[in-house]
Amino acid sequence: MRRVALLFVTLALVLPAAGRAQGKPDFSGTWKYDKSDPAGYKGTGGGWAVPAPTFVMRQTGAEITVESDTYGKPMKMVYKLDGSDNITEAQGESQSGVAAVVRWRTKSRWDGNKLVLYTWNTALNQLRDTMTLSGAQLTIARVTENPGGSTTTKLFYNK
Amino acid sequence: MRRFALLVLASSVGVFLFGFFGSPILLQQRGGRGGAAAPQQSGGALAQYPKGGPGEIVGAYEIPDQKWPAWAHPYPKPGYIWGSQGGVFAESPNRIWLANRGELKLPDKVPNNFPGNWGFFNVQAAVVPIASMSNCIVLVDGDGKFIESWTQWDKLFEWGRGPHQIYISPYDPERHVWVVDDMRHVIHKFTHDGKREVQMLGEMDEEGDNDDIKHFRRPTFIDWLPNGSFFVTDGYGNKRVLKFDKDGKFLLKWGSEGTGPGQFNTPHGVAVGSRDHHVFVSDRSNRRIQVFDENGKFLDEWPNVAPHTMIMSADEHVWAYDSISERVVKYDLLGHLEFAFGQFGTRPGYTWAVHQMTADADGNLYMAEVFGGRTQKFHPKPGADPAKIVWGRPLMPMAGGGTQ
Repeated sequence: MRRVALLFVTLALVLPAAGRAQGKPDFSGTWKYDKSDPAGYKGTGGGWAVPAPTFVMRQTGAEITVESDTYGKPMKMVYKLDGSDNITEAQGESQSGVAAVVRWRTKSRWDGNKLVLYTWNTALNQLRDTMTLSGAQLTIARVTENPGGSTTTKLFYNK
Repeated sequence: MRRFALLVLASSVGVFLFGFFGSPILLQQRGGRGGAAAPQQSGGALAQYPKGGPGEIVGAYEIPDQKWPAWAHPYPKPGYIWGSQGGVFAESPNRIWLANRGELKLPDKVPNNFPGNWGFFNVQAAVVPIASMSNCIVLVDGDGKFIESWTQWDKLFEWGRGPHQIYISPYDPERHVWVVDDMRHVIHKFTHDGKREVQMLGEMDEEGDNDDIKHFRRPTFIDWLPNGSFFVTDGYGNKRVLKFDKDGKFLLKWGSEGTGPGQFNTPHGVAVGSRDHHVFVSDRSNRRIQVFDENGKFLDEWPNVAPHTMIMSADEHVWAYDSISERVVKYDLLGHLEFAFGQFGTRPGYTWAVHQMTADADGNLYMAEVFGGRTQKFHPKPGADPAKIVWGRPLMPMAGGGTQ
């Protein structure tokens, strides 16, 4: 009985860590904006190209959660790590700022040790962040699309 | 005396407004950089511009029936109207393909005179409401009656903004239907009956940079050479033109960001000559048309025009819809501006951001309005000057005599 209990305890400790790790870096942490390269961003339009001053990432074996308050209100996005879509619905705004129910879609994938996060919504915003971890520095290669155009920028965050 | 003063004042205001809103094309002086000799403007056709007036609005065409197509009027389904119209392609006078960027939910109450298109509200159909991606590809007959809707492919357009353009190559005996989806970075090639997607260029939701030959970033338009090879403008994100062979194999590309020869800022239209194989590219945000040979060698530029869309007509003229003046313009292949008509507005015959234009062999002109939220069919006036009519390029007869 003690052996079984010990096995459960061991599994409970090991499995989540194993699921999280799988040889992949852990992006969890509170990230604070440092700089952009080039300064500002390349492209047209703003919106999602504008970096959040701070955001919090939580990583488990199954998903990545990103919380920020970029646009003056809290946002929490969940990215499943099995490559499947996560679709949610929330009150939001259309491109012109009209209140509307907006559907969101997220997904993620690994590109080696880089983490790629995709975000779409039905208000015609798209974002792809390719994240690279280097010690306490996080680099995000960010591309955005909206009807007005495309943006490309590289953002640097520190823990 | 007061009346006279008012008349003078009104005339002055009218002249000022015309000067302010009038086409910059009227004032253009060509300054070609390339080998082609700078042509002189054709005075006869242009002389009528300053006169303005109702005749200019629809040119050689009759005022369109605002209830065309019947499919969309009063509504495709209760509570919804057709939305931003990305594209239109006339396969024949009786088969017109509509590329609809999703349907829009109507307000609870609409005026009795509501014509059935979002532009009526004087707000852009493309970005204001959130569209439901339904009936994105619809085929209607010459009367605008419903033939079929490719609802089986609506799912392709979710999470984007719907189809950007729709085409059939004039040189394809199988008449595949091509659909450009800019925001999902792909070009779809379907069988003529819509049962199968036979090819997809690019990768869904994956964009590539200007050097990437496997991915687009917001592709916009296509046109073909007689041998089936084709050119793609790419696009909102990238700044280039790509050439593919008839099977979709990449051949070459040219272009970079900038304002010099061979550089682009939003290449948003392409028309290809069947005789000299010149490639005319709308460099929209640089407000010019650039001319290249089929290998991408820069030949010329035509300034002061920013086409949303361009087509090569059967009589080998470049017709374009200028996004600045909201007018249809006709050029010969050397850049002589021969004729123009049109005016911004939402009433029948006026236009708001024509995003694709097409014409059939009978001279009917169809224009899809991305902001106006409608596609209008313009029928030539009886006895109209044929030089002022857009003549659609004939399509190759369909192999096996399929529906056409």
